[in-house]
Order: sequence, then C-alpha cells, then structure tokens
Amino acid sequence: MKLYFAALSPFVRKVRVAAMELGLDKRIELVTVATTPVAMSAELAKVNPLGKLPALVADDGDLLFDSAVIVEYLDALAGGGKIIPATGPARWRVKRTEALADGLADAAILVRYETFLRPPEKQWADWIAGQKQKVAQALDALEGQSWLFDDKVDAGKIAVGCALGYLDLRFADLGWRKKCETLGRWYDGFAKRPSMEATKPSAS
Amino acid sequence: MRFRLHWSPTSPYVRKVMVAAHELGLADRIDLVPTRVETVVADVAADNPLGRVPALVLPDGTTLFDSLVIAEFLNETGGGTLFPRPGPERWRTLTLHALAQGIIDAAIAIVAERRRPGAERSPAFVAARQAEIGRALDALERNIPASTPDIGTITVAAGLGYVDFRLPDDAWRSSRPRLAAWFAAFAQRPSMAATKPPPA
Repeated sequence: MKLYFAALSPFVRKVRVAAMELGLDKRIELVTVATTPVAMSAELAKVNPLGKLPALVADDGDLLFDSAVIVEYLDALAGGGKIIPATGPARWRVKRTEALADGLADAAILVRYETFLRPPEKQWADWIAGQKQKVAQALDALEGQSWLFDDKVDAGKIAVGCALGYLDLRFADLGWRKKCETLGRWYDGFAKRPSMEATKPSAS
Repeated sequence: MRFRLHWSPTSPYVRKVMVAAHELGLADRIDLVPTRVETVVADVAADNPLGRVPALVLPDGTTLFDSLVIAEFLNETGGGTLFPRPGPERWRTLTLHALAQGIIDAAIAIVAERRRPGAERSPAFVAARQAEIGRALDALERNIPASTPDIGTITVAAGLGYVDFRLPDDAWRSSRPRLAAWFAAFAQRPSMAATKPPPA
C-alpha cells in the first residue's frame, strides 16, 4: 500500500498510528508530498482531486480517502473490529469520539492556516475566535471522560491523541492542560505508546 | 424510538442526513430542532461541542455527530443498505462520500469567505476552493456514480444541490453533461424533493 504523507498532518498521523497498532505499518510505503490549501501538490491531486492528505492506494490499486475511511479499511484488513467495534453503541461512541477529535484538529488547522497562510490584513479575528472556541469546547467535552483510561486502543482514542499532539505542535502556548488536567494525564500516558512515539511530529 | 436532530433548512450536511432518513423510512421519527447559522454554536454546543449541525440526540441522551456517523447510525437502525458491508464496495462508497464531502466543505468555505468583511477576503483562497470543486466534479464526470441511493450518491446529490443553491454562477453543467443528467435524475427522488432548501 502507498500512503500519501506529510509528517505534520494530524490526519496522516492518525492513519499511521492505526496501522502500527494493527501491525500493518510494514506493508505501507510512505509517499511524501508538500501541499497547502493554496498551493496544491499536483502529484497528490492526481490521486485525490481534493488535494488533501491522507490518501491511500491499496495493493489492488483501489484509492481511499479520507482518514476515517482509511482507518476503517485498515481495521478490516486486520480482521475487523480491532480498533472500531463492528456495530452498536460501542461503535457509535468510537465514531463520535473520532469525529469530535477530527473536528478539534480541523478547527486548530483552520486557525493555523488563517494566521500562517494569509497576510495579516486578510486575517479575520472573529473567525479565529470562533475556531478557538470550538477547540476549547471540544477539550472540555473530552476532559473527565473515564473511558479514555480503559486499556483498549480504538480509533477514537487514536484521533484524540493525534489532535492533542497537533495542539502541542502548533499551539504550544495554549496551555490546555491547565483546564483539562485529567485529559492531560491520559494524553501523557497515551503519547508513550510506541505508535505515538514513532510518529511524533517535530516542527523543525 | 424517536430522535431529535439539530437542523437547519440550508445545511448540506443536514440535508445528507435527512435524505438518508427519508430513504430509510425514518424521517417521521426525527423531531427537528431548527437553528440558524448566526446562533448555531450557542444552540448546539450542549449536544455537539463543535457547535455544528447536524447533531442527533438519542432517547437516552447520547448525542451523535458528524453527519456521516449519524447517517450510518440511521442506516443500522433502519436495517438499510446505504452503507455496504466491509469490502471493496464499502471503501468505494465511503471514498465517494469523502469526495462529495470535499465539494461541500469547499463550497461552505467560499460562502464563509463571502461573509467576511471585504478587506479580509482572499481571492486566492476562493480560487483554490473553486479549483478543488472543479477537479472533484471532473472526477465525477469521468466516473459517474450509480443511480441507486447510498451514502456516496446521496452526498454527491446534496453537494451538487448546495453548489446550485449557494454558487449559482458556477456553470458546472456546461462541461459535465453526464453528471448533470445524473443529478437531474437523482433529484427526482422523493427524498431529495422533500429536503430541497428554500429559495435563497
């Protein structure tokens, strides 16, 4: 399999962590692309017309995106029901958590794009404040969720770990641990997993 | 069992869920909780911390989002076939969904850009989103979706409906006759007619 890859994307990281937890990472070849919302990688656009990461080319040539689909595909490849329960309330909790964490990461990325890719005079303070509010509310919702501490790794927890890792990477001064101590404790433990260590981004 | 859905008449993400509900015969079990774009974060935050519609509230108080999760839950509840079982058909359907979702996301981003104060709008950003939509539509024209409803085709239809609704100057049909014909036929479905946004 070929995974279109950028080292700092939390969504690519989610796929890589899932692959390692499922024991599939050796079967994945990484194809590095550089892409931004205003400077699309032409190579990536050939695979995913949206020009977004991650995208996966399966061994049979099938093309998959976005990250949630790829994670589900990998889970099925590993036998199914490993990190995403097949059905019922357990499935919805994992899927809802993944959506919450992805939404958190999306909002953080939008703030990053706004402040990094736009010239200062085209930045919109109200928009940035709105996205930061989403990040804060998502963190509050994750704080104190006791199931985070059970010993089962699932796609929801992986998404939360990658979203929090992105906050630490890009918004190190946010200080989210102050208000979300329990979540911080969970994350510090989860971040020690070999899959998280091996995929840790650095903004060098 | 009844459900509550945080809802808006114009959101394409909501429409996707409602088309699915109609196709599954579940629409009359969903109580709609209207909200407006100006108040959506405050209205929905208690049930979806991301402050977005749609969010579905189950009888036990559990909340579900985003639209894909809700649609899959409804499909399981209704014993439907909008989500194929794990296998190549499922991955194709979900990747089609992601492509269509990308069209919707880009169109929403353009609409949001227009709501900005004039000086803070970025023509380059809008052009990049328009190019994304164009490439995604070209991909659909090359590979026309099935005529049957599933989460992929429903989302393509919700996306094209939203482009027509919010970006009426985008003459996407002119270079994509097959996709235009596909959409004209799909839009005839009662589920699509029942969820059409009000006149802009």
